[in-house]
Amino acid sequence: MKKNEEPRFEQALAALERIVERLEKGELTLEESLTLYEEGIRLSRLCHGKLEEAEGKIEMLLKDGKGEPALDAQGRPKTKPLPPPEDEA
Amino acid sequence: MALIECRRDMQQKGLDFGGSGEPRPARRRALSVSELTERVQGVLETEFLDVWVEGEISNLKRASSGHIYFSLKDDRAQIRAVVWRTDARLLRFRPQDGMHVLARGGLRVYPPRGEYQISVQVLEPLGKGSLAQAFEELKEKLEKEGLFDAARKRPLPALPRRVGVVTSPTGAVIRDILRVLRRRYANLEVLLYPARVQGEGAAAEIVRGIQTLNRLGDLDIMILARGGGSLEDLWAFNEEAVARAIVSSRIPTISAVGHETDFTISDFVADLRAPTPSAAAERVVQAKEELQARISGAEKRLHAALRLGLTRTRARVEAAAAHRVFAAEQGRLHVRAQRVDEAVRRGQRALVRRLERGGESARRLRERLEAFRWDRQLAARRERLAWRTDHVRALFREGLDRRRAGLAGLAGRLEGLSPLAVLGRGYALVWDETSGLLLRDVAETDDGRPLRIRLHRGAVRATVVSREPE
Repeated sequence: MKKNEEPRFEQALAALERIVERLEKGELTLEESLTLYEEGIRLSRLCHGKLEEAEGKIEMLLKDGKGEPALDAQGRPKTKPLPPPEDEA
Repeated sequence: MALIECRRDMQQKGLDFGGSGEPRPARRRALSVSELTERVQGVLETEFLDVWVEGEISNLKRASSGHIYFSLKDDRAQIRAVVWRTDARLLRFRPQDGMHVLARGGLRVYPPRGEYQISVQVLEPLGKGSLAQAFEELKEKLEKEGLFDAARKRPLPALPRRVGVVTSPTGAVIRDILRVLRRRYANLEVLLYPARVQGEGAAAEIVRGIQTLNRLGDLDIMILARGGGSLEDLWAFNEEAVARAIVSSRIPTISAVGHETDFTISDFVADLRAPTPSAAAERVVQAKEELQARISGAEKRLHAALRLGLTRTRARVEAAAAHRVFAAEQGRLHVRAQRVDEAVRRGQRALVRRLERGGESARRLRERLEAFRWDRQLAARRERLAWRTDHVRALFREGLDRRRAGLAGLAGRLEGLSPLAVLGRGYALVWDETSGLLLRDVAETDDGRPLRIRLHRGAVRATVVSREPE
């Protein structure tokens, strides 16, 4: 994994699970165990953080007369929020 | 022209609507809707009591009563058809949308709705309908190109952040998808590209939707969805243009079109086929709680594995430390630590003495300078000298602090190497008080000299009575 590139969630989770397995085998020196443990803690924090990252917006693209997405002044597509779905409860 | 002919025709049949100038015959009574329908029924049901008709099945529905309703169609017309339960039981095949069939039956009129339908007694398959034919041909072509290969299918990201959806903005499908996504993973972002999913131009809109969502760039996954319907209703998802757009999508795509039993070309080329739109939403993301549980589980095992490792290592260290040879080594280390302590103490004493002497000579200098107060020119030199004195003093102090710190650090480190408190096990340290030396050899002291013996708790003063060289 490149240093400057943050691992994606699934890579981080897989790496975390690999570390747990290596540690559980118990064939490591104390120093190696500690290094792996620290890396494991870092990865689990990263994973927990990623779970909370997105904002939960629900939007619909707006289209112009020709069916192309309508753009705002910055060239970003215009959207309108969709109401969140009513719960079944 | 047509109207004139029509009127002439009616006049010949004795009908009259009060034309110009001609003598007005007795007005005929108009038919009620029921009467007209009854006549139509009479004509149709007699004329078409037993007909053979060939066409393609579409919009087939099986009622829970066992009757089968569908339309028979060709490229210009369609007619409603029904197979009643008693006849349906005798069918030797399972009629389905898109099938080309030969039907035998009679026309029946349904007066309450003014509709007619063919009541089918015999139904036989005639090979595939044209849509089904087109479906098979495209399927075969794309399959040959390798577009259905499992190797082409990309894995879906485990934790998408933004989901694109191409479907109708109204109706149950988008509601179902949003409800499932919300429930499983509330902070997922959703961007809907509203597209018609049925009828003229639907395929082009779906293609544009796929391309637009790809161009926007920040989506992790895309769902193409449509509710159930006939083969015609779902047809947009069997168009080659849609299939090609899915193939060139950079975003992994889930196709969820129709019900569980419906298959479309887009299902085959997409990275994943979901049986229904709700199922597609469920495949988009594992429930957040499941992911959290997975991470927390890994964390717990991580802690436990490390604790176990540490316990094992500690046990090994303790076993080794308990060994007699090692204990002796520890004792030697401790003795060295004591000697360092001693050296620190002596060094401190010497430095303090030198500092005091330095202070003393400075004081004497100052007194002598006081005596030369009459010489104003000496004032400046006196100040300089005073500054130097302070400086020397500061240097002494600084050096002293540094050495003290260094030695204390060293002593601390050595102390750290003897965690077993050797003295606690009954060892003792003995100094000759005259020389200040820590004794290791009887030759280092003499009869009658005072000793200091350091025990685990406190010290003892003693005198050498006699010595016994080895």
